[in-house]
Amino acid sequence: MSLARLFCHAALLLVLALSATAQASESGVAQATTGRVAKPIIEPARGDKCVEPAQDMRRNHMEYLKHQRDDTMRGGIRGAKYSLKTCIECHASQTTNSVTAAPTNFCISCHSFAAVKVDCFECHATQPASKSVSFMPLGHPTQAHGVLSNLRRQFQNLAPLKP
Amino acid sequence: MKPESPTPCACGKNACDETRPQPEQNSRRNFLGIAAAGMAGIMLAPGVRLIEIAQAATPAAAGASPKVRWGMLIDSSKCTPGCNACVVGCQTENGLPTQPGPTDTQYIRKIDIKEVRTGKTASLPMMCQHCAEPPCVDVCPTGASFKRADGIVLVDKHTCIGCRYCMMACPYKARSFVHEPLTHQKPDVPRGVGTVESCTMCVHRVDRGEQPACMVACAAAGYNAIVFGDLNDPASEISKRVAQFSTKQIREDLKLNTGVRYQGL
Repeated sequence: MSLARLFCHAALLLVLALSATAQASESGVAQATTGRVAKPIIEPARGDKCVEPAQDMRRNHMEYLKHQRDDTMRGGIRGAKYSLKTCIECHASQTTNSVTAAPTNFCISCHSFAAVKVDCFECHATQPASKSVSFMPLGHPTQAHGVLSNLRRQFQNLAPLKP
Repeated sequence: MKPESPTPCACGKNACDETRPQPEQNSRRNFLGIAAAGMAGIMLAPGVRLIEIAQAATPAAAGASPKVRWGMLIDSSKCTPGCNACVVGCQTENGLPTQPGPTDTQYIRKIDIKEVRTGKTASLPMMCQHCAEPPCVDVCPTGASFKRADGIVLVDKHTCIGCRYCMMACPYKARSFVHEPLTHQKPDVPRGVGTVESCTMCVHRVDRGEQPACMVACAAAGYNAIVFGDLNDPASEISKRVAQFSTKQIREDLKLNTGVRYQGL
């Protein structure tokens, strides 16, 4: 009887000990991945490769952008390596199509983590240009629109004279 | 160095200091000249000279060229009262409010004018005249208002503090202030609260080799009242027409040498 009870206690202890070690190992893995502070979620970009290595971009992107903005704005030099427009075209979220719309989107995620206010988007677009919007619907290189609307206007002028 | 003569050179005299031979200075000048010529040609390595490295380091970036002066010629005899195509084209291109209130942004607006004595009326678009001597640039306290090398007058919104001094200085009422925070701007046309803005002559299109939206819209409406081009290039259409026809600058008395000219006023 006492022997049976002893076995029972031993089995219970064993089970408890095993479960305790399992818990410890689980929590240890979790800490290794996240640490004490939640890391920013970096959404994958659309392109293959950034213009500079990620480490360099994390530290210096603001310098690159600031340097080039004056060349573009004042000097009219377009299409250089570091352009905010191309950054956004590549890094806009697959779900929101923006770099700032959701807290997990590319720019806002890291800037919230680092507690650095980002002023760019008070003026600059946060979404890449959509093809339908960038198309200029009013004109055509052949000026066929112009000829047609001219004709239409002339017929409109003629119309009251006919009856 | 030889001390200067106490009396200044009396011109016309044969015995003038300047005409007297100065072997000491001449030899030094010769030496410097030879040295400078030598420096330019110094070979760093076989076939490599400093001047070639410097030339290679500055790429031929196709920016705004000072040889170009972009301008517009507006034929007010072709411009029709009631037509708003250029305004709509501008709003579409730049993402501007389509029904602007009195304090909202407008880059281009239509005005109808009438000469009181004769009763002759004219309709014309009015926008930033892209002056060669822009008063808005003169008064800007931060240097945000500036003229590009190719004559386009712009606002650098990175440095604009929104004081609106340029708006008061402009004789054409061309500039607007953004009072409210904006969203959904065009990627090519950044606009933001607290800054002044005006017609950019569609600088993003011009840099791509295209023409301003107002001109395209006017041509699409069949009027062809706006001609855009390089005023410095004698072969361009605008230069030919400016040479052929009598054109006017608005407020020519201010001598601002505007880039936008009007025909048939």
